[in-house]
Amino acid sequence: MTAAAIPIRSDASLAFVNYQMDHAYDEMFATAGVPREHYRALQQTLLGLAPEELRKIQQAADLTFLHEGITFTVYGSKEGTERIFPNDLLPRIIPANEWARIEKGLTQRLTALNLFLRDIYHEGRILAEGIVPRELIYSCKHFRREMRGLNVPRDIYVSICGTDLVRVPDGSFAVLEDNLRVPSGVSYMLANRKVLKRVFPTLFRDYGVWPIDHYPQALLATLRTMSPENCAYRNDPKTVLLTPGVSNSAYFEHAFLAQQMGIEVVEGRDLLVHDNLVYMRTTAGLRRVDVIYRRVDDDFLDPLRFRPDSILGVPGLFNAYRAGNVTLANAIGTGVADDKAVYAYLPQIIRYYLNEDPILPNVPTFLMSDNTHRQHTLQNLEKMVVKAVGESGGYGMLIGPQSTAKQRDEFRALILADPRNYIAQPTLSLSCAPCLIDGEVESRHIDLRPYILMGEKVTIVPGGLTRVALRLGSLVVNSSQGGGSKDTWVLRDADRTGGPGAA
Amino acid sequence: MAYSIKHVTTFRYHPAVGESVMEVRMQPRSDMRQRCITFSLDVNPQANVMTYRDFFGNAVHHFDIPGRHKLIEVTAHAIVDINPAAWPAVHYGTWEDLDTRVAEGDYWEMLLPSQYAKPTDLLAELSEELKLERRGAPLDLLMEVNRALYDKFDYAPNTTKVDSPIDDALRARRGVCQDFAHIMIALVRQLKIPCRYVSGYLFHADKAKDRSPAGATHAWVEAYLGEAGWVAFDPTNNLLGSERHIHVAVGRDYADVPPTRGVYKGEAESELSVRVVVAPQKPPARWTSNNSSSNRPNLPQKNSMGEKVSSEIAATQEDAQQSTASRDGRDRCGLRAECGGK
Repeated sequence: MTAAAIPIRSDASLAFVNYQMDHAYDEMFATAGVPREHYRALQQTLLGLAPEELRKIQQAADLTFLHEGITFTVYGSKEGTERIFPNDLLPRIIPANEWARIEKGLTQRLTALNLFLRDIYHEGRILAEGIVPRELIYSCKHFRREMRGLNVPRDIYVSICGTDLVRVPDGSFAVLEDNLRVPSGVSYMLANRKVLKRVFPTLFRDYGVWPIDHYPQALLATLRTMSPENCAYRNDPKTVLLTPGVSNSAYFEHAFLAQQMGIEVVEGRDLLVHDNLVYMRTTAGLRRVDVIYRRVDDDFLDPLRFRPDSILGVPGLFNAYRAGNVTLANAIGTGVADDKAVYAYLPQIIRYYLNEDPILPNVPTFLMSDNTHRQHTLQNLEKMVVKAVGESGGYGMLIGPQSTAKQRDEFRALILADPRNYIAQPTLSLSCAPCLIDGEVESRHIDLRPYILMGEKVTIVPGGLTRVALRLGSLVVNSSQGGGSKDTWVLRDADRTGGPGAA
Repeated sequence: MAYSIKHVTTFRYHPAVGESVMEVRMQPRSDMRQRCITFSLDVNPQANVMTYRDFFGNAVHHFDIPGRHKLIEVTAHAIVDINPAAWPAVHYGTWEDLDTRVAEGDYWEMLLPSQYAKPTDLLAELSEELKLERRGAPLDLLMEVNRALYDKFDYAPNTTKVDSPIDDALRARRGVCQDFAHIMIALVRQLKIPCRYVSGYLFHADKAKDRSPAGATHAWVEAYLGEAGWVAFDPTNNLLGSERHIHVAVGRDYADVPPTRGVYKGEAESELSVRVVVAPQKPPARWTSNNSSSNRPNLPQKNSMGEKVSSEIAATQEDAQQSTASRDGRDRCGLRAECGGK
């Protein structure tokens, strides 16, 4: 089928009039005006809608988000901190063959990461052989010495992973970063789907999209297969979600997931450790807890072991964990593997443990602790993205091309003061996708965060959270930095990549 | 040489608190230099004491007291036999040998800055004052540092706090054993020599002119000097490790090895007192015949001999040097307990 002109209704939307393409990969258009096969049906639908209809659909979607209370929190903002999460109405569509490769690549990566974590907290073979420098691991602020020699159920450290993928100009996917501590955003993925199914019911049905609604059940099943060595209820491990509380940016998600899974959401003060066993305080007395899906960072989990000033944690929790009386998911100390400087070694890590080439490549990364890398970076700061190694959520970053001379000077000083704490990457041209901006379809940069579950087996719900840099030209997709999200449709049929109109 | 050690720690709370959780690092290590023959830990109010070994190989005991209480008393009893043969003739290694061994082994933990032992501007000034750089033999240089800290710093209890950064002591040029240890660790690590913190006890012989007080816990450092292994330096008293040093726990700095660390629930004033008695003890006859550790049976650390041994302690306490320190928790060389409660 060629890209023949599509008949346009006389009152049709002028949706694509202002759609601009640059050198970035465009998810929808192969060349200007010519959509890829799997986007044709979406384009037809859009062109068939009058501007007024489109506006109504957008309003209906916005109202749903408002009513569902889907919000997030921005730290360090002078205005109110709680915001409605901006959703973009147009789905991002991924054909079956592309997804198959992503799925394989993610499984490979998480398998290697878990082997790596097991190794550095036990024998340290990869360090002894000099493949990853020892100093890099021991100087990582998320390295937890306390985890040395401690066994975790199934040797799985990361049960819940959110990996950020970007599509580079040649159309291939690369990994931008792994989130191995407490990745968030999955509730937005589920909410986006719920809304899209409501506002585009026919289009959704006709496209043949893999469902994702079972994510909470898959998460619960994964958690339950991680039951501890000494489990109080072996066939029915008591599972709870531990939240830092209502002021956390992702509290909405904590409450939502717990409710979907049918488990209790608890705060630190709701739990108690006695004789190395963890109990939940209930109206009917104390009840043993076996598995904790914790959405609290390592530092705050146990004031006895980690930060003594933490009031979010449970005193003695780490010793109960060490004794094999409770499972924490994710395990403690996983942050050492998503340190952005350790990330640079991921290709070697995959080869070392699996003897395979990485299916999903890394983005080129310069280590500021390396003299040559650092000089190159400092000479080209205006072209680079600089990131603090232990940060996430778009905090502690410099985007060279969009920076002022003053900001570059600040980062130059920061890098020189603490080289180990920074990495740099060439500014990536993230792929673009059509978004509905003020009633018109415009192009915006996006990425993709699939969620990978690893327990007895690996489960990846098809798709993930597509994040959108809503400001024109912006490359920052983090919700904390003015990003939004859109639904992600992974197509079922490997043979039919063109959607309903293309059979 | 053998010692019996009694280490009593009392916390009093006003008003009563609940849900105390506590970790204790008081069991002397067993290694080439010393053997912990017996160890027992009693807790009042009664609690189940559990134990594990931390990532530095220290034995940790821990317990919790859920009900309301106004007092926690932790009593540790140990009998430790020191192996004199483990203090060999001083060994002078070379820098090359040291670097080779460090590169081959896993010493990074003790080379990198840690919470209480990190470089500061004031440390750099001291380093310059001492013209600290690699020269001569590593052992000579460290003995020089040990002596310099002893000479340039006054021993002054109650001038620094349990969580004081080394800058406080560096500025005032005085402090306690913990400060001297942290300063020395930071200096030695800058020379790319692995260095670690040791908590323990010093037996104060009658004629010893130690600055650190008896009746308290003590702290010093160990530096890794290649073939000589971990060599102990006590900058508080300008001593090398000796038969009088009984080591309990090692870590990167104090934060890794506080004798007690606890958390409780409640708003309360807490008062801490510590009493330590270190008494020479005649080793049981079967130990005296042989100083080499290799022939010794590997006794369990808590064994059925516990009670019998306790009576021996009582018998020898008469002629033991005995002193007590009952303080409010701000005793710098005494047991440092960290408490936080909410």
